[in-house]
Amino acid sequence: MLGMVGCAGSSVKLENPSIPEPLIAQLPLKVGARYPEVFDSFVHEEQVIGKEKWSIDLGRANRILFTQLFGSMFTEFSVIEGDADVRDLGLDALIEPSIDAFEFSVPSQSQTDDFAVWIRYRIKILDADGVQVANWPIAAYGKSQTTTFGGDAALQRAAVLAMRDAAALIILQMDKATGISKLGDAKNVNVEPQSDMPPADPDQMNLLTTAAKESNDE
Amino acid sequence: MMSDFGYSIARRVTVVAITATLLGACVTSRIENIREGDTGILEGEGIVIMAKSYHLGNETEAKFISCVGDSIGRGRTGLRVVPHTEFVDALFPWFEPRTAPAETKGLPTLMSRPGVAEMIKEKGVRYVVWLDGDTDKVAGGGSLSCAAGPGGGGCFGFAWWQNDANYEASVWDLDGLEDAGTVSADVSGTSFLPAIVVPIPLIARTQTKACNALADQLKLFIVAEEIA
Repeated sequence: MLGMVGCAGSSVKLENPSIPEPLIAQLPLKVGARYPEVFDSFVHEEQVIGKEKWSIDLGRANRILFTQLFGSMFTEFSVIEGDADVRDLGLDALIEPSIDAFEFSVPSQSQTDDFAVWIRYRIKILDADGVQVANWPIAAYGKSQTTTFGGDAALQRAAVLAMRDAAALIILQMDKATGISKLGDAKNVNVEPQSDMPPADPDQMNLLTTAAKESNDE
Repeated sequence: MMSDFGYSIARRVTVVAITATLLGACVTSRIENIREGDTGILEGEGIVIMAKSYHLGNETEAKFISCVGDSIGRGRTGLRVVPHTEFVDALFPWFEPRTAPAETKGLPTLMSRPGVAEMIKEKGVRYVVWLDGDTDKVAGGGSLSCAAGPGGGGCFGFAWWQNDANYEASVWDLDGLEDAGTVSADVSGTSFLPAIVVPIPLIARTQTKACNALADQLKLFIVAEEIA
């Protein structure tokens, strides 16, 4: 589980996050990930009009989450620091995750007992030559009830669930949405990189559709 | 020694308490089950209590889920209940709110995924119980006012409210990969708050009643094999 520390007032912080070890077969790829600076310190504030201010500090939670996630998904994974040229790294693919948007709502806004967190990530994938082959936006959602965990803890829990939701979505949909597994094949047979790969299907961001159901429909 | 005012207060409180007890908070309940297949549970097998996904609009309260799990596991006839978080973490990411199968027809695909069937067997989970529903305040009325001054304070008036607890539990058999049936609890309770100086709350424990009734019926539903 994710370790969490609550601060006084309406300011909360996530620390030492982790996700359970996924029950999946690893993709046989040598993959690297390059993180933006914001993955080392991310703070988001919401001012409820006429009411109190809430803030949440994710710290390095995103870096830790994605490192653990990609480490579970691929047979070889490393974090790429700095501006190293991807062509010099001998990778099958380089993943560049980022945060497009972060929002949350508190009970006084939603008129419910719920804290809710939305995170919109963007996953860019570059092939061995540094050509972008996929640009995949994903929307993750987490919700937690005030009565269960108290105010601060409920917001922390909602953020954790949103990040866990993103991890689940990436595990289930990443290859389908980005075709990343084909990059290993392309490198091995020395064919042209799939630079014309279609962008991610916006329907895959539909939060009301379960991935399990989608897989049944295939 | 108690003053006349003190005796007066005590008499009023006593009258209010007796009246309130006679009136009582009233709760009505209806428990039903629909059986789709045979059930039964062997030694070493257990169940897990899950909430239907909030991605599908479900609002079941976390404390209700805990209550049902605790109640089913309690007592001499209690079933082995695998903690929800332990089960979901062990099977990550297949029982997350976004990814959990919405229908039993998704079970064969789920069980064919690497390590899933083995982990479910290792955890000893035979049935997944999916809870859906919530408790809502559906009506209320009356008025109650309180005041305080240098000589003391008190309340006067009468308020009431009605809560409805509607829950449904779908029982999935992970052995036969089928829907075993559903158990539903529909509990309605009216609470009263009369006050003559001191408020006397008469709270209808609607959600608790629904929890206990649903848990008792679920135990019977899972344990008892249907006679052909």
